[in-house]
Amino acid sequence: MITVSNLSKSYNGVQVLNLENLDIPKGQSFGLVGNNGAGKTTFFSLLLDLIQPTTGHIKNKNVLVHESEDWKPFTSSFIDESFLIGYLTAEEYFYFIGELRGENKSDVDALLSQFEDFFHDEILGKKKYLRDLSKGNQKKAGIVAALIGNPEVIILDEPFANLDPTTQIRLKQIIKHLAEKQGVTVLVSSHDLMHVTDVCERIVVLEKGEMVKDLATSEATLKELEEHFSN
Amino acid sequence: MIKHFLNLEWKQFKRASYFQKGLAIKILLFLAVLYFGGIAIFIGGIMFFGLEKAFPDVDPIVMVNNYLIYWILFELMIRYFMQQLPVMNIKPLMIIPIKRNTIINYLLGKTILSFFNFISLFLFLPFSIVLLFQGYPVINVVLWFIAIMCINLSINFLNFLINKSNTVFYGIASVLIVIISLRYFNIFDVTEPIGKLFNGLYNQPYFALIPLLLMVGLYKVNFDFIRKGFYLDGAISKKVKEVEATDLSWMDRFGSMAPFLKNDVKMIWRNARPKQVLMMSFLFLFYGLIFYTQDVYRDMPAFLAFASIFVTGGFLLSFGQLVPSWDSEYYKMLMSQNIPYRQYLESKWYLMVVAVAVSFVLSTPYIYFGWEIFGMIAAGALFNIGLNTFITLFGGALNRVPIELNTKAKAFSNTNGFNPTQLLIALPKMVLPMLLFYIPYKLINFNAGLIALALSGVIGLVFKNFFLNKIEGIYQKGKYKTIAAFSEKK
Repeated sequence: MITVSNLSKSYNGVQVLNLENLDIPKGQSFGLVGNNGAGKTTFFSLLLDLIQPTTGHIKNKNVLVHESEDWKPFTSSFIDESFLIGYLTAEEYFYFIGELRGENKSDVDALLSQFEDFFHDEILGKKKYLRDLSKGNQKKAGIVAALIGNPEVIILDEPFANLDPTTQIRLKQIIKHLAEKQGVTVLVSSHDLMHVTDVCERIVVLEKGEMVKDLATSEATLKELEEHFSN
Repeated sequence: MIKHFLNLEWKQFKRASYFQKGLAIKILLFLAVLYFGGIAIFIGGIMFFGLEKAFPDVDPIVMVNNYLIYWILFELMIRYFMQQLPVMNIKPLMIIPIKRNTIINYLLGKTILSFFNFISLFLFLPFSIVLLFQGYPVINVVLWFIAIMCINLSINFLNFLINKSNTVFYGIASVLIVIISLRYFNIFDVTEPIGKLFNGLYNQPYFALIPLLLMVGLYKVNFDFIRKGFYLDGAISKKVKEVEATDLSWMDRFGSMAPFLKNDVKMIWRNARPKQVLMMSFLFLFYGLIFYTQDVYRDMPAFLAFASIFVTGGFLLSFGQLVPSWDSEYYKMLMSQNIPYRQYLESKWYLMVVAVAVSFVLSTPYIYFGWEIFGMIAAGALFNIGLNTFITLFGGALNRVPIELNTKAKAFSNTNGFNPTQLLIALPKMVLPMLLFYIPYKLINFNAGLIALALSGVIGLVFKNFFLNKIEGIYQKGKYKTIAAFSEKK
């Protein structure tokens, strides 16, 4: 689904990301871990054509990301709160995204009804603007908005941070379900090794912009990761 | 303690984003402050002589007192829309051992230095000095001046309350509406007794005590208000507004542009900054009054053309020049969503066209100045729709300053979109219509000028798709730069 070749990004001659080859097949749940400054968000930004690669390219379903916009209809993402429109209510925001993705109100409502437990009665029907919600609730709204419109690729940056334990567990189920049952390619980054190993079939470790590990998740993965990061 | 506060303030001032800009802009800003300050002082200085000449039968001080209430109301309105509340970054200070009273006193005291207080000072100080030189009784003049300053500061403190408390806001608003409608329907003119009151203030100097007490009282109310709410969820919190949900589904008839248009309407309606722009553009409607009432300009129709552009173009110019910036807070999302750039631009274009049309309808009272003037406004509106919209959108592409939507622009720190490129782009917006009118006017006649101006707009409309495609290309090209600039923290 996603093919990366010779991708690198430098700022003023300092390289922050350098990935020679990376293939993410359709329907894989893909985890990205690394310390601060490892290049996770840079990679996701390149994937969404928010920054320009210094060298190389990314292909999303055979579309060259930095040349064509044709990847947009089947790709959705939530990177940070700047993806939310602060002066809308959660419903208005969902319907807006729905309209952009060619879904009508009832389509969106049908999708939202699956996430009532996820929202915990704190988001829908609250008569509050998104900018007035707490960080955690903002994140929930952003993540659910990324699921609208049957995307084939979903990119979530640090989805577990700021979430309460109940929602973390529910989110893990959602992501697993998306990848296994619906064949959606899910890309997730996290600082929480436990969550990533729970959710992802494959985990890539970045360090200073380089890929240092590429693991197929197994029983031993968590241990291996913990060892890696304790040195 | 005060020393620490001042130190913090100084750092905040020095390191503020608008000071990090180029030297040229700093100088321009400085000149602008000088200019407005100078104008106020100048008006204050000549006010006495002007009034004396215009109304030889009435003592200028009486005249000023009679109309003072309008100045006060004007100031209140301007402050409500423009003045920022003094939220010193209070959160970090809450857990540090500083007496609350000290912080609150400092917070309120700081507002005295607000630019808005100086307008009155600059206006009335020279006026009072002139009065003294004209031999008016010293005690009366000095105490009157002090009384005015106390009123000025009372407004300052009142504004804080109005902003923070809905009850005060609706109370004052309803009193104002009652007063204005009473006067409008000729039932009772409340300005007369108020004028007498101000005159009394001058004639009986010890009355100056009343505004002084008023000021102290309002200070105290403010103090108690903040003191009582000195908690994270109290007075220093940002006001969480109830959602004002309006059904905009009737806009769905605009087809693929509907989601954007609906969004823009909500954006304007629910955020402080665009609301401010909306109000400013309403004021532009009255721009013509300055030009059309003066005989000097009657013989310089090029200037009339210039004014006509502003009458209908207020919103277009002030909103349009910041076009991508309005969406800066969530630009990354827009760029990674399933959005064709073209639709995004086109919806903004429609918004501006509608605004020009509405302004044009509102400008019909200008018929009073004759059909020639009104024809000019109509031609100007066509130019605005057909050409100015595109020039403005093009200028927006070069503007990469993020906007904080829900923060009012500070007076004189509003350098958003204020850079040399913007000035260059602003030139054709103003000079082009003047030329379009003036050349045929000189060569043929007045009507030819009107037709040329109107025709240019129609031609622009015909080439709409061509222009939008070109502009889209420019926006696409600058995409990465714009994203990077918008995601920089202010």
